Amino acid sequence: MQSPELSQDYFELLGLNPAFDIDPALLHAAQQRLQASHHPDRYVGSSDQDKRLSVQIASRVNQAYETLRDPVKRSRYLLEINGANLPDDSATTADTEFLMEQIELREAVDACRDGEDALARSKLIETRLEQRASDLAQVFVACFNADRFDEAIEASRKMQFVQRIQQQLAELQFELEDF
Amino acid sequence: MALLQISEPGGSSAPHQHRFSAGIDLGTTNSLVATVRSGEAVCLPDAEGRRLLPSVVCYAADRREVGYPAWAHQSNDPLNSISSVKRLMGRGLEDVRRLGEVLPYEFVGSDDSPVPRIRTAGGDFSAVEISSEILRVLAERARDSLNGDLEGVVITVPAYFDDAQRQATRDAARLAGLNLFRLLNEPTAAAVAYGLDQKSDGVIAVYDLGGGTFDISILRLNRGVFEVLATGGDSALGGDDMDHALGEWIIEHCGIEELNAGLNRQILLAARSAKEALTLSEAVEFSVNYRGQSWRAEIDRHQFDDLIRGLVKKTLQACRRALHDAGLKTDQIDDVVMVGGSTRVPLVQSMVGDFFGRDPMCDLDPDQVVALGAAIQADILAGNKPDSDMLLLDVLPLSLGIETMGGLCEKIIDRNTAIPVAKAQEFTTFKDGQTAMSIHVVQGERELVSDCRSLARFELRGFPPMVAGAARIRVTYQVDADGLMSVTAEETTSGVAADIVVKPSYGLTDSEIEAMLRDSMEHARDDIEARMLKEQQVEARRVIEAIDAALKQDGKVLLSESELEAIQLKRGELETVLESASADEIKQAIKAVEVASETYVARRMNTSVKQALAGKQIDEVDV
Repeated sequence: MQSPELSQDYFELLGLNPAFDIDPALLHAAQQRLQASHHPDRYVGSSDQDKRLSVQIASRVNQAYETLRDPVKRSRYLLEINGANLPDDSATTADTEFLMEQIELREAVDACRDGEDALARSKLIETRLEQRASDLAQVFVACFNADRFDEAIEASRKMQFVQRIQQQLAELQFELEDF
Repeated sequence: MALLQISEPGGSSAPHQHRFSAGIDLGTTNSLVATVRSGEAVCLPDAEGRRLLPSVVCYAADRREVGYPAWAHQSNDPLNSISSVKRLMGRGLEDVRRLGEVLPYEFVGSDDSPVPRIRTAGGDFSAVEISSEILRVLAERARDSLNGDLEGVVITVPAYFDDAQRQATRDAARLAGLNLFRLLNEPTAAAVAYGLDQKSDGVIAVYDLGGGTFDISILRLNRGVFEVLATGGDSALGGDDMDHALGEWIIEHCGIEELNAGLNRQILLAARSAKEALTLSEAVEFSVNYRGQSWRAEIDRHQFDDLIRGLVKKTLQACRRALHDAGLKTDQIDDVVMVGGSTRVPLVQSMVGDFFGRDPMCDLDPDQVVALGAAIQADILAGNKPDSDMLLLDVLPLSLGIETMGGLCEKIIDRNTAIPVAKAQEFTTFKDGQTAMSIHVVQGERELVSDCRSLARFELRGFPPMVAGAARIRVTYQVDADGLMSVTAEETTSGVAADIVVKPSYGLTDSEIEAMLRDSMEHARDDIEARMLKEQQVEARRVIEAIDAALKQDGKVLLSESELEAIQLKRGELETVLESASADEIKQAIKAVEVASETYVARRMNTSVKQALAGKQIDEVDV
């Protein structure tokens, strides 16, 4: 038997406006509220069908939460529900200036692997990356709001590049702080 | 409240009856059972007043013993007295060989099953069967003590347990004939036992060092909701390893050259009691009988600390990782809870205290705390506390992925994702007329499949044949609230669901479990059939109650007259077969009601979600 699908998109499901800028506290509160009412633990004594449905709803709520709390996933999801034709994950950007900057940033991260002030240097790159991420998010919002989806996709793609370097840096800092 | 059962269903509007439930801590070294009695969680003792049940099962040719009697045979009958079986749950032969020195049993494998069996005088047994013996004894203790049957149980597992280890635990419960409400993570259970939900909101670190496993969980507490932010650890690191470190020291110190299973066990037991004594004493003396002589030696706490410091440090590294994953620093942790017998070791307490910069909480007995928390959760799940706000939200401890070209692992669901969760993926066929495909699901963080844990291979069959690339096969990976994974697949252009054959890499198949169940029952066939019939009848009554309650509330609003009639018709048919038909026929009738009410359920689901978000209770909504 096919289970019924929840018709709402993730924003609707969590009662949020479908926009890039969302309040993380509201997002979290919505996830918690829906789990409080629909988590499978609330249906232990119910019929098998109710149990299945609650797993389905709780799963979708968590999936929505995971997607919307991450800026890159959120930007891609916004484009998706607005009918933009998203390229797959392997697509790259053609912006050579941006690519050069990425290579430079990546090298700067790698250079933090050793040396006396490695941690201090990594903090400088961290600040720079944060600034870059927030600039790109603004570009995304501007393009998305103006329905310039191709440019919004490009901005989202770049956000993903920056996020990957941020993750690498965080991992490196974790190792540097080893005791 | 339920999706379909909006108000209390007809039958149960009578005064609420207390339903018996229990929480079980199925430990590596010891196991416990607890229950909530007069509002308070208590660990249940055996007839001699002992709460701990040693997790040892002895299979002699003529008898089977569990707990203390089996424990007593460890030195004189080491090959038939099986201990630390938790380390083998969900594990394969090659893992077992790696544990060979730790577990000196004779393992037998077979071509038919990837699950290793231990050869004993009483027969060959898998870890699942051995664990089910322990569960059976604990459940019996609870039934005796409560003087009634158990509605269901909560069994705890290390948060770090992977899917195969969780499946194995669930299978053990099934074999023991228990209704498993939930597999609960041990650290979460401990946080529940400390009643931290009664306190102010905050962030808690639970440090759980048991006999064979280490877990660290970071939880956020907000209005009764325990939300796991990150979890980490090592499912093969624990107090046993301290015993081994000390055992090696003894072997070296006493100049022992030849080891046999009995002597090895003797040394380990000596090491364990020395370790326990060093919790209170600064130095202990111990003796080992070797070549007819008694060897005496003394070890002081400093020497012992040096032996285990590396081990404790390894646990703190896992703590750092979990904090990093949660995006927190040590000074953001409000409370540190200690769980597991090994946290009694003074060096563990001081190093953990130093790491988090605060004294860890150890008011509750670290051996009992997990079982107590499980009992509280079981009591709530049994429906005995309808007003409780408590909710435990867990995460996936290890990423789930599938094997792609070149033996690489593609992540499907990242670790620390809140569960339950589902993720879908679309595939297409690459050959004309292709009707089947195979998916290899693995768990772990590494990029190469060979470095991850293989969970299962799923063979999907029965897609309609189409030209290459035309089929759209949507595969859905579902992780439930227990952290257990399942896979469903459908060809979306035709709507044909695939038949799925699961080949677990380290687990028992459903038919193996059923065969074991049959073997374990005296009047096998009759019993199983009678039980299945009863189960289906109970389920049918639930379905009828739920549909009646729902229709009464909003059937006329959400459904057209013909839609309503269609549901009523199937509901009536179910009621007719309820008392007279076979389990199979009732099952069919239940399915027919479900199919007929599909659209209705979908409409109600949307309403129910919207209302939950609006903060209204469904039963407040006037229809």
